[in-house]
Amino acid sequence: MLGYFLRRTFESVLLMLGVLVLVFFMVRLTGDPVSLIIPMDAPPAQREAFREALGLNEPLLVQFTSYLVGAVQGDLGTSLRRRGEANLDIILARLPATIQLALAALAFATIIAIPLGLAGGMRPGSAIDTIARGVGLAGQTIPSFWLGMLLIVLFAVTLRWLPSFGRDGFASIILPAIALGFAGMGQLVRLTRSAVLDVRRSDYVRTAHAKGLRPERVSLKHVLPNVAIPIVSVLGIQFTYLLGGSVYIEVVFAWPGLGSLLEGSVRDADFPLVQAITIFISLFAISIHLLTDLVYGLLDPRLRHA
Amino acid sequence: MKRSFSIVMGVALLALLVPVHAQERSGTLVVALSSDPTSLFLPRAADRTATNASLPLYDSLVWINDDLEVVPALAERWEISDDGTEYVFHLRRDVTFHNGEPFTAESVVATWETGSDSSNDYSNFYTAANLVEAIDDYTVRITTPEPIATFLTSVALSWGMVPPEYIREVGIDAFARRPVGTGPFRFVSRAAGDRVVMEANPDYWQPDMPMVAGLEFRVIPDASTRMAAIQTGEIHIANRLTPDQAMALEGAAGVEIVSYLNDRAYYVGFKNVGAGAGTPLEDPRVRQALNYGSDRFGIIAAVFAGQAEPIPGFVIEGNLGYDEALMQPFPYDPERAMELLAEAGYPDGFEISMGCPADGYVNINEVCLALQRTLGQIGVEVNVEFRTTNSFWSEAEYGAVGAMFVDSWSSTIGEALPRLDGALMPGNFYTAWHDDRFAERISAIERTVDRGERAALYVEMHELMYEEPPFIYLYQPTIFEAVSDRVQGYLPRAAEEYFLGRVSLD
Repeated sequence: MLGYFLRRTFESVLLMLGVLVLVFFMVRLTGDPVSLIIPMDAPPAQREAFREALGLNEPLLVQFTSYLVGAVQGDLGTSLRRRGEANLDIILARLPATIQLALAALAFATIIAIPLGLAGGMRPGSAIDTIARGVGLAGQTIPSFWLGMLLIVLFAVTLRWLPSFGRDGFASIILPAIALGFAGMGQLVRLTRSAVLDVRRSDYVRTAHAKGLRPERVSLKHVLPNVAIPIVSVLGIQFTYLLGGSVYIEVVFAWPGLGSLLEGSVRDADFPLVQAITIFISLFAISIHLLTDLVYGLLDPRLRHA
Repeated sequence: MKRSFSIVMGVALLALLVPVHAQERSGTLVVALSSDPTSLFLPRAADRTATNASLPLYDSLVWINDDLEVVPALAERWEISDDGTEYVFHLRRDVTFHNGEPFTAESVVATWETGSDSSNDYSNFYTAANLVEAIDDYTVRITTPEPIATFLTSVALSWGMVPPEYIREVGIDAFARRPVGTGPFRFVSRAAGDRVVMEANPDYWQPDMPMVAGLEFRVIPDASTRMAAIQTGEIHIANRLTPDQAMALEGAAGVEIVSYLNDRAYYVGFKNVGAGAGTPLEDPRVRQALNYGSDRFGIIAAVFAGQAEPIPGFVIEGNLGYDEALMQPFPYDPERAMELLAEAGYPDGFEISMGCPADGYVNINEVCLALQRTLGQIGVEVNVEFRTTNSFWSEAEYGAVGAMFVDSWSSTIGEALPRLDGALMPGNFYTAWHDDRFAERISAIERTVDRGERAALYVEMHELMYEEPPFIYLYQPTIFEAVSDRVQGYLPRAAEEYFLGRVSLD
């Protein structure tokens, strides 16, 4: 048991180090940020002073060491563009908006997908099953940024029911949450449906039917609890995916979260900030996966012995 | 008849007597920004978006009016010494900062000192002055090491006056988070990545400004979302639209399209140093041939759907000294181009490399490829080398990529000087063409404080640059913005700048 925990933790730390190394060198492959930041007609002396002030004249290995030491201590450096602001503060200021949107998207996906998947799976081939399969397919094939624009044109521009952008109370989260949650919803419908199909064929369900239970009672008491395990695990993965995968949606809806921050800082060539956001999201995802695995290990003895 | 006339006169007189500030300021003007402003402290406002969002908070000593003349602002009047290096400004006595600090000569000194801090992106606008001293409370003397023709212009646009006590107490970083100026609007709040909220300054020294009660900047990075939000009325001004988007909005209810030529010259630079040394480009006939052989008209039609103008040189429409009759773009004349190449000793053309900043500007990749094709037709085989933007503009690469390169240069001061200086003055970072005759003329322009004389020098400069072109002159693009029909008095300028003091909402 302890061995399993230690092994998984060690693997995660190794993965985090890998991320740190990769991010540092990839960001530096793209060239010299100074030229993009200070005005084109700045005199050479000003350039030099600026580069010196940012520590860009240090050897790469020295830069890397101080970056690594900082990262381990929770210091993700300072922004090039937002002079004097710590990257971590900038990120934390944007994090609530992103978490809020991810939760709303997840709620939307779950509320639609689970009942639909259950209903479809219980009656394969029926009309409701056709709808469930259609929604599953649509969710996994329609690109979310395109869906986002479509929603804006329909519900904001044509019908004027909802705001077209921004973070301004409940009404403003509806469209981005749908656009962001749509893909996850598709996956969840398909997963729920096929899980129900599997469970329906199992011996204990056949037994429940045989002893004369009403079908509704079989669904609720015997099918749902057993379907829940894979769904919950997928929801955890979905959540981390939604946190990192909301760049398009946040940009399209001008949602002031991490995704639009990442897009903006790439555009500004603010490489310390890009680096910090990438590291933050990666570490966040790795931690959640580690946590899920550890909980699983507790719940399912087969895993920790594997 | 006579009586009704006097009634009309009486009403008219009454209207004149009613103080203007009694006018109701109403409504909140909502303006979209295409990116989150990096800073609201002008010396750190890294791009047009950030300066546009910062300017409503500040005033400078002087101002550039819509006719591009330098007019009084926080300075009522000023004198310039005969040698053009000493400015004495006499300040208004009725101005206070948003936090209540009085505006005095000391404020000008503090603005210069904090602006010159080397941590600022734009410290060079302040370090252009080597001494700023208070003579008395309302008189200040600014000294520059040499005469600078555009000094007042850069003071007008960059020296937003800051309150000395406040900025010394909290420091630049905290100041940038809660900026204080003397401008028509006061800072209220800011949500990162989302919005900047301002309110009318009730004590503004120009009582007829501002004309709205509130001002909000909303960050909307995606142009199609800006397009949607202007249609729903959630925002009143949406800038940076593509020609296609502007066309799509044509006829939309309540939306008007504003378009103007951008003060930005696109060009192909030649090098006579680095990768360009020893190439055929050193022969002026070859450079003329390349200008005759570039179908800028075809490129504008095909790549920009006609929404750009061919340029005759670096002095372009809207610039001091520009004269349409004198300054015509090179015609597209491939035969003349081939004759010139033959004269120069290249009857079969030659092969040459050209750097291109991939996705660095709107449609620039297509422009590079179109140039390759059009020059191919006169026998010049162009090898296009695409580079990512930050490697393209880095020190090492700018000198190394291509004997020719595609680039652009804007100007915010209504004169060609910044691009002439930046692209042709030896010693400057992006100068790849060295010619002492150009350098001498640019220095002359830089030292000529008189506008009329400067205009004449620009014409002379243009003629030389047409005769012996250091660039292939391409085009200046058209800018499109969508504005709600409730907005009155919105006048963006050629460098995509706008000033919102006189904008009102119906």
